[in-house]
Amino acid sequence: MHVAALATEPVTRAIGQRTDCYAVVTRGLTKRFGKRLAVDGLDLVIPAGSISGFVGQNGAGKTTTIRMLLGLIRPTAGRGTVLGHPLGRSRAYLPRVGALIEGPTFYPALSGRENLMVLARLSGIDNRRVDAALERVGLGTRGLDPFRTYSLGMRQRLGIAAALLPGPELLVLDEPTNGLDPQGIAEIRAMLRSFADEGMTVFVSSHLLAEIQQICEHLVVIETGRLLFQGGVEELLAARAPELIVRTENQNHAKRLLQLVMGTGRSARIVGDNESTTLEVLADCSWAADLNRLAMANGITLVHLAERRSTLEEAFFEITRVSANQGIQGSDPARGAGGADGGTKAWSERPGRP
Amino acid sequence: MIWRSFESEWVKMRRRRLWYGSYLAITGVVLLTTIVTIAGALHHANDRGDLTLAQLAHATGLSQGLMQSGILLGAVSFSIAAFQFGGEFSHGTLRNLLVRQPRRSVLMTGKCLAVLTFLVGAVMVAAIVGLCAAFAMAHLRSVPTSAWTSGVGMGDLGIVLGDLAISTCGFAIIGMIAGVLLRSSVIAIAAGLAVLLPVETIVTDAVPGAARWLPAQLLEAIAQGGSTGASFRAALITMSAYLAGAVVITMLVFVRRDVTA
Repeated sequence: MHVAALATEPVTRAIGQRTDCYAVVTRGLTKRFGKRLAVDGLDLVIPAGSISGFVGQNGAGKTTTIRMLLGLIRPTAGRGTVLGHPLGRSRAYLPRVGALIEGPTFYPALSGRENLMVLARLSGIDNRRVDAALERVGLGTRGLDPFRTYSLGMRQRLGIAAALLPGPELLVLDEPTNGLDPQGIAEIRAMLRSFADEGMTVFVSSHLLAEIQQICEHLVVIETGRLLFQGGVEELLAARAPELIVRTENQNHAKRLLQLVMGTGRSARIVGDNESTTLEVLADCSWAADLNRLAMANGITLVHLAERRSTLEEAFFEITRVSANQGIQGSDPARGAGGADGGTKAWSERPGRP
Repeated sequence: MIWRSFESEWVKMRRRRLWYGSYLAITGVVLLTTIVTIAGALHHANDRGDLTLAQLAHATGLSQGLMQSGILLGAVSFSIAAFQFGGEFSHGTLRNLLVRQPRRSVLMTGKCLAVLTFLVGAVMVAAIVGLCAAFAMAHLRSVPTSAWTSGVGMGDLGIVLGDLAISTCGFAIIGMIAGVLLRSSVIAIAAGLAVLLPVETIVTDAVPGAARWLPAQLLEAIAQGGSTGASFRAALITMSAYLAGAVVITMLVFVRRDVTA
């Protein structure tokens, strides 16, 4: 079948689920540039009304995917819908989509307001919308200054203002916090939350995993164009085995406790060098009381006992490591079979410990 | 839809630096050619058929300077158009425009019309300044100008302005095509000017009859109402065919090509 035909064919039948619950659905979305496969059979599902994070290393295919969703790049294969319309008919859904793609690019000599006017005129958007968008991102007083005089943070905010112009239902932001200082990142974070509170679906790609963890409910992880995980952020973090962090009074106690824990059949290790008194025990907090009793019964005094929640960064590195190992072993890497309903095999079947 | 794209492009082109820069450059070209043409007019005819003061006194004398400015105006128009289109790729602004106007042919047509109106406006303003300069130069060289303001003179002036506008639009469309196909304003301007000016001149000198099919030579012939190399009618037909084909190909490429900039 011709690529354009594939792209315009409704994806609902192929996936077997209602697309109105999802802002974006793709099935087998693929893009090849010559011999290089940039996106490889991506099955993407972005729930409507959520803040979804799009995570992957540089060159993983995030921007190419976003460009395909916005009709800037033609898929080599696959199909999908955005806001219920087939990918190949971007003119049907783009009036309801706002986007910041690969950083804010505007005409340097024009003011921020004039730059937005160029885009507003194209879509027949009212001047009042331009002013409202500038106010919304905090550029109301600098709107008449030339774009070239803007700081990086102001440029990012102008990019978001441009994305807000059509009053979008879906906001696609590619690296909106790139190069920003902590204050700027916090401002963008607050802004994204407010958009979601208003009912917008926000699809945001970022390298800053801590940021994604803080603001996103839903997560998509890709590597070398392939889906590694998609599902809830909490689901991904919960899938990683929890750990108890234990500190004993001295090093001998630490070594003895390690033996005792291993004796129960659980995994544990001393963290750091030989002098360390800290243990990591692979167990959730429900075992903390048993661990404490075990230590007391053997005359070991604990000076610290806490559950350690895994971070998205750890989860990301583990998920990509597992994928790489599977690739080395010659097996087919996880392809994100979980869809919107759950995580991928790659995560749930990971080895016990790094 | 095309109107929106036209309006959007005009928001960009209203900026003062572009406005002043373009209008001053085009006016400068017309002023220069007018002054040089009238200042260089001979008292007596020579073997090469150069312009004489007696010829200048005819009804067609007023537009002589304008007619000579065709190739230089073309170079300026080409550069401005290539900059406007190639710059969208160089700046990475094209993706923003296409998200707001996914109909690529509509976007390109509106932008094209905006650039053409901008340039034709600039040529007309430059022509007014050039005509004032022509009267001043005629006074300095004691050329009678009564025939210039006659009905015949005004009619000829109208035809020359029309030819100049067509030639300017032709160069501008080539500039847009270069900007879109080469996806860079710098490369488009450098490569385009190199081909249209020195390369074409060399080929015209080296290959007999080349002026009948080389684009810049044809557009210059149109600006001058016909030249020794090509008649006005032949130049207009050949150039129209070239531009129609090139515009269709460029539009197809623009509509189908992935936007990675």
